[in-house]
Amino acid sequence: MKDKLYNAFVEATRNVFNLMLNITDISHRQAEDFQCDDEVDIAIGIVGDLDGEVVFRFPVSTSLNMVRIMSGMEFEEVDLFVTSAISEIANIISGNVLTALSDSEMQCNLLPPVQCEIENHKKYDLETSSCLGTAIGEICLEIRLNRP
Amino acid sequence: MDSIMLWKDQYELGVPLIDAQHKELFRRVGSFLQVLRSEDAWEEKIPKLDDTLEFMKRYVVEHFRAEEDYQQKIDYPGYEFHKQIHDGMVQYVQEVSQQYEQSDHNEDLMQQFGGRLLAWLINHVAAEDQRIAEYAKRKGLSGNEG
Ligand SMILES: [Fe+2]
Ligand SMILES: [Fe+2]
Repeated sequence: MKDKLYNAFVEATRNVFNLMLNITDISHRQAEDFQCDDEVDIAIGIVGDLDGEVVFRFPVSTSLNMVRIMSGMEFEEVDLFVTSAISEIANIISGNVLTALSDSEMQCNLLPPVQCEIENHKKYDLETSSCLGTAIGEICLEIRLNRP
Repeated sequence: MDSIMLWKDQYELGVPLIDAQHKELFRRVGSFLQVLRSEDAWEEKIPKLDDTLEFMKRYVVEHFRAEEDYQQKIDYPGYEFHKQIHDGMVQYVQEVSQQYEQSDHNEDLMQQFGGRLLAWLINHVAAEDQRIAEYAKRKGLSGNEG
């Protein structure tokens, strides 16, 4: 299940980056050691057959690049516009994952994206994280879910 | 100020009516974003943003309806699912513009709306709408049924 989720998120991120940002070359590694000084963390809550959240960790430079590619405009700082745009992308990726998994046994729903601080003290049944390397910088996904 | 171009030819579906509406939608959203992100004082931007917002509220509904009509005409199996997405977006646009009026033109609300609209529109047209075209092609429809 852990691998299935991991792969589903990597695949969905690949697709969305390809379609929305024209970025095709994406590498990934399973990683607990993602380090970034300035990042925007967006949490998408998941409820249903699985319960928990996925946190998308976007470094500031990656965030600004994503919005620049989409809009053709320059952005100097992460403001409400940028946060909202990348939250929607996190939402789209997660939605695509659930659609892909709903073909199998799983039924879940998403909660609206919220900006968050990453916390590491809780324990989850299913925990995995993925670092994706792209031409516009890395992003990290922290998947933490329980089976209620 | 050079006008920004959000539209990319790869978004084309090959259905003339829908493509024309998408281009118009992208053009309007582009000018909306350009005003929204300009250096001008917020007070000065409000009238232009209000105009575009009013236009988009009408145009989005009109476009969604045309696209749904086309889907029905070609018996698109994803019609119900796609309509749900459209309805969700219409509801979101209405909610935001209501909050925006009630808040007496709060800038934060519009910045958030702009960011989400940009990402939503690109994904919807590049991914969801594209599926309609793929289906039409598989069925051997020429695209002029719209
Ligand atoms: Fe459309
Ligand atoms: Fe659509």
